Amino acid sequence: MSHKTNKNDDHIHPLASLFMWTEAKWLKGAMVYILGFAFLAMASVDLFHHRHEYLDYAASTGFYAYAGFGAFVLAVMVGWFVIRGLLGREEDYWDKDAGDD
Amino acid sequence: MTDFLVNISPAWPIIIAGLIAAIIPNSNLRKGLALGAPVLAAILWMSAEHGQHGIIMFGGFELTTFRFDGLSRIWGLVFIIATFLNGLFGLHEKDRVTDAAGLIYSGAALAAVFAGDLLSLFLFWELTAISSVFLIWAARNKAAYRAGLRYLAVHVLSGVLLLTGALIRASETGNWAFEHIGLDSPGGLLIFLAFGIKCAFPFMHNWLQDAYPKATVVGTVILSAFTTKMAVYALARGYAGEDSLIYIGAIMTAFPVFFAVVENDLRKVLSYSVNNQLGFMVVGIGVGTHLALNGVAAHAFADIIFKGLLFMSMGAVLHRVGTVKASELGGLFKSMPLTTIFCIIGAMTISAFPLFSAFVTKSMILAAVAQEHHWLVFGVLIFASAGVLEHSGIKIPYFAFFAHDSGKRVKEAPANMLIAMAIASVLCIFLGIYYVPLYNLLPFQDAVYEPYTFDHVVGQMQLLLGAIFAFAFLLKVGAYPSEKRSINLDTDWFYRRFGDGIVRWAWTMLGRLSASIDNVIARSKTRMGSRLHEVFSPIGSLSRDIPSGVLTIWTSALLAIVMLVAYLAP
Repeated sequence: MSHKTNKNDDHIHPLASLFMWTEAKWLKGAMVYILGFAFLAMASVDLFHHRHEYLDYAASTGFYAYAGFGAFVLAVMVGWFVIRGLLGREEDYWDKDAGDD
Repeated sequence: MTDFLVNISPAWPIIIAGLIAAIIPNSNLRKGLALGAPVLAAILWMSAEHGQHGIIMFGGFELTTFRFDGLSRIWGLVFIIATFLNGLFGLHEKDRVTDAAGLIYSGAALAAVFAGDLLSLFLFWELTAISSVFLIWAARNKAAYRAGLRYLAVHVLSGVLLLTGALIRASETGNWAFEHIGLDSPGGLLIFLAFGIKCAFPFMHNWLQDAYPKATVVGTVILSAFTTKMAVYALARGYAGEDSLIYIGAIMTAFPVFFAVVENDLRKVLSYSVNNQLGFMVVGIGVGTHLALNGVAAHAFADIIFKGLLFMSMGAVLHRVGTVKASELGGLFKSMPLTTIFCIIGAMTISAFPLFSAFVTKSMILAAVAQEHHWLVFGVLIFASAGVLEHSGIKIPYFAFFAHDSGKRVKEAPANMLIAMAIASVLCIFLGIYYVPLYNLLPFQDAVYEPYTFDHVVGQMQLLLGAIFAFAFLLKVGAYPSEKRSINLDTDWFYRRFGDGIVRWAWTMLGRLSASIDNVIARSKTRMGSRLHEVFSPIGSLSRDIPSGVLTIWTSALLAIVMLVAYLAP
């Protein structure tokens, strides 16, 4: 089982250094801009290249990029407000003694 | 020797190994069986020739236990691979119930895939239900016990529907053949419902999210591989080209996305993800073209491996941390970096990044849908593709291994778990890059598909980057829901609360009715007793002195009646 320790402990796995860059503060702030740039760059490929699709609407410029963004936001909003809002319950809803896990 | 091997279904060594494991107390021997049996099954699979083999007589019926053809071949292989990986993943666990049930269940699913007739299918269909419930009960807690009972009830219902449908169909057609069935007969409809339950169709799906997260660490990994994919195989065999499946599948891809977004239990998130991926396969079966069915077979193959990998990574977290609640995790990459890498590989695969297996499999289904101009369904599948990135591609690795550091410092997963995850990861990448061996296994070799076109790679990367940017954007503006300790009601509310309430009410009413009837009977008895007492007791009316004249008249009358009856009697 786990035990809580301070951040500067000796229990950090040597291979964890592979991911330590993800904790850089500048990266956390800049991530949205980096991804935004990548998103626009990838969407703009359609300006120079016409994709061949079986369905007309899928061939429109930047379709997949905007669909990806829109679908993600829709999924999160519906999940948050509709599912959690209407169907969310306390963790011990099913069984006060046994819990649900 | 070769002729002998050709006749044996690869399922038998696994089922027999499971039966032996059930009686062997030595765990090392059981683990040897868990690894050896799938190897033997693989040898049998490689020795097999196309055709119907393993015909046996059972209760007066002729059963075809081993049909090896284009469709069953690919499912058989991936079931054998999954059995081996599951055996490896569970190598550390010394639980005889899990060892035995896991092998019998895996073997039964494999046998169902190779079944050549509906009766054989039914026998192995039921065996999967009965054996798999022990993987849930092996968790040995109250919630798992109750979930196992619900799971068993649902799956036995599926078996009953299958048998009833098969009987009706056999009476209609005069045989038990398991070929294309269709929905144009009552028997076909019942079998469709039986398959639909195991395939977790909408409103029949919740057994999956109810039971899988409550099984043991190893049990959930085993469960994730077989039942639903066996049902997909059965649908592909019996109902390819049924239009209704296109819309059922489309709903299956979309609705789990919303539930998975706000689910706190990460194994439950993956259970919703199982539904979502099954939806793609069901759509492909509904489209029914050769390209679509190839896509179904290929995606089922890839899905069993990458979904198993994701369940393994969460199993490793559960094994070490003791929970997979997103609200209690975070920062685990510091303790479990290898598990993190494997989880990310699974997440990238399920999201269908180029160079990962789902990219070359799921796209076949999408292409087939677009080719048939199902524009609305195609749109739903695009939504679902972004949705799967949300819950399985980002949420699972992000909340478990990154996000806020929970401060939990644990050991890396056991070596056997890491090796199993490493093999699954290699397969995910290998099949994404060198997909020719997988494509060569597909049932219809006339349907040519090239996944790595510029258009496809660009389109897919646009979709994924759009969704990833949306995640970063929502996180930045504080519009991404935080993980909190809660549950969300699903269709199980209807039988766990509403149905349960009705049964309890009916039981109470029945109790009251019974009490009222008892009361009436008791009162009647009392009344009758007092009447009899009034008549026959020493102080009753019959004890009173009766005048002899009256008695003579009554005696004469009775004698006259007796004589009359005697005279009239033949």
